Amino acid sequence: MHVKTRANKAVARAAFGALALNAAFPALAFASEEESGGLSAILPDMAEFIPMLIAFIILWIILAKFGWPMFAGMLEKRENTIREALKKSEEAQIESERVLAEYQQQLADAKTQSAQIIADARAVGEAVKADITAQAQTEAADMIAKAKAAIEAEKKAAVAELQSSIADTSVDVAARLIGEDLTEGEHRAIIERYVKEAGSFNGN
Amino acid sequence: MATNRLVVKEEVAVFASVLFDSANGAGGQEAVLQVREQMAEVIRLMRSDLDLTMALSNPDFTPEARRALVENVFAECHLAFREVLAVMAERGQADLLPRVNDEFRALLGERLGICVVDVTTAVPLDDGLRQLITEKAEADLGKKAVLRERIDRSILGGIIMDVDGNYIDASMISQLNRARNVLKDTTDGGEC
Repeated sequence: MHVKTRANKAVARAAFGALALNAAFPALAFASEEESGGLSAILPDMAEFIPMLIAFIILWIILAKFGWPMFAGMLEKRENTIREALKKSEEAQIESERVLAEYQQQLADAKTQSAQIIADARAVGEAVKADITAQAQTEAADMIAKAKAAIEAEKKAAVAELQSSIADTSVDVAARLIGEDLTEGEHRAIIERYVKEAGSFNGN
Repeated sequence: MATNRLVVKEEVAVFASVLFDSANGAGGQEAVLQVREQMAEVIRLMRSDLDLTMALSNPDFTPEARRALVENVFAECHLAFREVLAVMAERGQADLLPRVNDEFRALLGERLGICVVDVTTAVPLDDGLRQLITEKAEADLGKKAVLRERIDRSILGGIIMDVDGNYIDASMISQLNRARNVLKDTTDGGEC
């Protein structure tokens, strides 16, 4: 709209200049013709000047009606194109700055994440190491305990076997001594003592 | 089934009563005690010899064959006992002999008023010991006690007294076995 206004003003100024010049020169021509007869040679003939003026006015009207609007439209279109391009370039710049900031943020996040991952991996490694160590210690303790238990069991079994053997031998020796060495009188004395010490037949 | 059990119980009572009366009539208390011992021996034999036990009750044999078996195998036994056992075998009821034995032992106390004490020792008893054991049994049981003595060297010493399954085992072998078990079971915590 601004461009159109300026174009109209420029057309008006050109037309006014042309009219003023055409209006001035005939006066000058008539004045000069009156003052000196040679001026008529350079002054326009009114018979030619009027049609030319009319033609010029018609041309000016046609241009003002059809030419200048088209020209103004082209200028406006061009202006719009440039403005859109500028706007797009600004947007592209803003977008690129945003993308750049985003990339920088992502890069920073990635760095943070990588640091975190490394720290986590290190912590996990330490934990696994501690677990393996603890498990190995537990297994070793279990093995030692089982070995001790097995040794203890074998020791007890050996002691029990020895004890059993000693008991059998002792009882066998005692049985043989009793069977061979006791006289009938001694047997009867033992029977008498046992009968006197025995419990009741009623279980009381 | 309840009726059958009652019938069997009555049959057992009849066998025991007939056996007791026959033995008592034939030889008095001594014959009764002899039959009691023989019956115990036969029961032990039947428990250790399943072929004999099955043969005495085998329905594949005729009653006459089972009677002949009893008369041949137990020819040394008292006549009254042999006859009753032969009848039981004929009827296929020889397996009732342990129950007849229990009933017979009960009749000893009921009809003769005595209790039989089976005494096992390694050496023969003298009169003093017999008197001592008899007085103890009569004091404990409140009946006249009759001793049935048996010598068994394997008990090493001491005495085993049995009144119808109530044992007083004061034999050397039992005491040594108890000592053996105590020695084997005693532990000192595994320390040598």
